[in-house]
Amino acid sequence: MQEKENILDILKRVRKAVEEEDSIKLRELSDRTIHSSSIFQDGDNIAVAVIVYSLSKIIERKNYQSYKEWSNFLEKYIKNIEVAIAALEKDNLEKFRQALNDIRKAINDLSGNFKTHVQDVFKKARVNKASRIYEHGISMEATAKLLGISMWELAEYTGNTGIGDVDLGITMPEKQRIKIAMEMF
Amino acid sequence: MRGALIFDSSSLINLASNGLLDVLADLKKIFDGEFYITDSVEYEVVEHPINIKKFELNALRLKGLIGKCLKLAEERKEVEELAKQILNIANRTFKARFKGEEEYIHIIDAGEASCLALSMILSKKGIKNVIVIDERTTRMLGENPENLRKLFEKKFHTSVSSLERNYNSFKGFSFIRSSELMYVAYKKGLVKFGNNALDAVLYATKFHGASISRSEIEAMKRL
Repeated sequence: MQEKENILDILKRVRKAVEEEDSIKLRELSDRTIHSSSIFQDGDNIAVAVIVYSLSKIIERKNYQSYKEWSNFLEKYIKNIEVAIAALEKDNLEKFRQALNDIRKAINDLSGNFKTHVQDVFKKARVNKASRIYEHGISMEATAKLLGISMWELAEYTGNTGIGDVDLGITMPEKQRIKIAMEMF
Repeated sequence: MRGALIFDSSSLINLASNGLLDVLADLKKIFDGEFYITDSVEYEVVEHPINIKKFELNALRLKGLIGKCLKLAEERKEVEELAKQILNIANRTFKARFKGEEEYIHIIDAGEASCLALSMILSKKGIKNVIVIDERTTRMLGENPENLRKLFEKKFHTSVSSLERNYNSFKGFSFIRSSELMYVAYKKGLVKFGNNALDAVLYATKFHGASISRSEIEAMKRL
């Protein structure tokens, strides 16, 4: 695992942000593993980014609080984050990963619309983090595989970001590229 | 055969998502050569999405084009072996310094490498070819790897070194995007959406994943 101290610090701050229902802070925290996720492509860093970003969305959507399973779900979510913190402090990676996995399992225990909404939040969180990694210069296919999403989902999302407008990505005058295309026909 | 277009997954996904596969089929009719895909690309655009409800229809549409408009490259073994070598070089070209240690950056994957491999194989046979790819990294690696290194540095906020001798392995490829392909289709009278069709089709490719800037699109419209 890469960046253990960073992950520990993120998870500890998550607890406080949840208490304050600060979804913006949670979103910022979820971005703090993106550099290392892109360089090391380490599954633990990526999993933390997805879990924290999902939590920011779940907290942000106040209407979720009307579901009867809400409190219990959030309690399990936070409890597992605390287990993950304790495990990481003891360098127990197996237990740390199990705690993150238990958060995913808690979603499967949900029912009805709430379950569908939360599953959707997690799926979108993976696409969001994939887009950030693609933005860092990792290819579309490599990024999609890293996050376990389809290239179709990633292409759909990245098209609506400013990634294509980055100056460094312009590698040839357009006239020249059009000439290449026209000459083939 | 006069030439070949080699399609990466990103460009086919774009065209399918925009409902432009008919235009692609019409382009093939006026093209003196083949539109190729590799096995890895076929997996990404057909076999994998066919099991995802949201993308199943487009995957079926693309499947329907294989054998008619799109040809699966026959040099399977050769492509696979060369792609492995390309992956090995590409993913050992850039090193990021992070907290005192250097780490190779894994930048591309099998489908993208297979397009480069097929291009090399066709070029060796004397077949003029162009890779149609919408994703940014592979194109930058081929056309301006130094820009890619600078992008990594800018995004990672750390120094990134490169094995510059590896850059030579990615020289000599030609790349266009689905946007340029649709420009050709428009010029050939195959995009028939009335007024503003060029503007509409170019921006549609951008918003469905083509790594193209607004300034490049506007430059294209002025040509």
